[in-house]
Amino acid sequence: MLRSIIVLMCLAAVGPHWATAQEPRLVGRLTAETRVQVDAMLDSARARALPIEPLVDRALEGASKRASGERIVAAVRRLTDELQVARDALGSRSTPSEITAGASALRAGATGDDLAQLRRLRTDRSLTIAAAVLADLVAVGVPADTAVAAVLALAEFALDTEYLALRENVERDVALGASPVSALGVRVEAAAPQGDFGAGTQRPPARKP
Amino acid sequence: MTERGFLFDRVVEILKEPVAIDPALDRRVIKGILAGPSPRAAPPAVVGWLTRRRTVSVSPLGGLALAAGIAGLALLGRSALQLAEPSTAPRTATVAASTEPAPSVVQFVIVAPSAATVSLVGDFNDWNVSATPMRPAPGDGIWSVTVPLEPGRYRYAFLVDGQTWLADPSAPRAFDDDFGPPNSVLTVRGS
Repeated sequence: MLRSIIVLMCLAAVGPHWATAQEPRLVGRLTAETRVQVDAMLDSARARALPIEPLVDRALEGASKRASGERIVAAVRRLTDELQVARDALGSRSTPSEITAGASALRAGATGDDLAQLRRLRTDRSLTIAAAVLADLVAVGVPADTAVAAVLALAEFALDTEYLALRENVERDVALGASPVSALGVRVEAAAPQGDFGAGTQRPPARKP
Repeated sequence: MTERGFLFDRVVEILKEPVAIDPALDRRVIKGILAGPSPRAAPPAVVGWLTRRRTVSVSPLGGLALAAGIAGLALLGRSALQLAEPSTAPRTATVAASTEPAPSVVQFVIVAPSAATVSLVGDFNDWNVSATPMRPAPGDGIWSVTVPLEPGRYRYAFLVDGQTWLADPSAPRAFDDDFGPPNSVLTVRGS
């Protein structure tokens, strides 16, 4: 009798963890079949300490755009893989926002090695803005390898606000008719003490913050 | 002149009349100030009992039992707080409330002269197509809405007439368009 009670108490304690956790925001937005698959992927991501929020957002986006369940599951799976690569490259201490921005940079054409180098250059600073700006530069037409080189050139000393200013300036230049590569070259030359993006000029050593 | 205007004029006349002040008023006020604050009423007996100093003797065993009791109460309270927490953590759960940056108010604008409805849909409203309707400016086809956003990076798009998805022409494109129609991306700076 006592043994049965102990077993029941143990089952009651661990029971909720047996079942897959349900993300409440997906209820009513996805079909039951799709939701089960997405919830399972969310559980797996949680277990690997990956951020869940972008995965839920991706599933909700698919639901709003009336994508098929198969497509939603594929999109969430792809993003999970990118988040994993970003986390592996940025290290286990990276924040959810860093991992999410890193995944965006990967989708834009950066590699895991690029992200790892960015982490090495900005050891004690957040990489969120730097990685996000990398993706944004590619979005305005800068080739991925050029965008990576520019972001890495500024990585050791640039503040987040300087990264954002660089992006805004390049966007403005491109909107006014400049080519994305030359706009980026001019702006990085102006910002980076050691930047060499075509002009071939070497500047004094980088200043440390 | 109407009756209402007459009454208004009458009130103004009354308000304009000089107010007679007792000449002894100043003297009474100064005297009161010089006399100092009025003595406080004696505190109730229960306050005196509560604030009275006393010496309490506790045996080592009693002290141990008291400490164990306090620790048990603290653990009980903590467990109760954990049980009271919702099952889903808020988006900014890792940021303490006192250090949360204030949200920025961001205005979204799109020109859609022939649209009947335009909605702003994105990460910030769980991609809910009816959560953030945009408002048209009269006559010129400009639709806008303002949204308070915490610092972060958001993907979004405009939904025109409930069926056409449009990226924001004034913002960078998001690369992760897994579902066909393009999205834009917005980075909100921290303070």
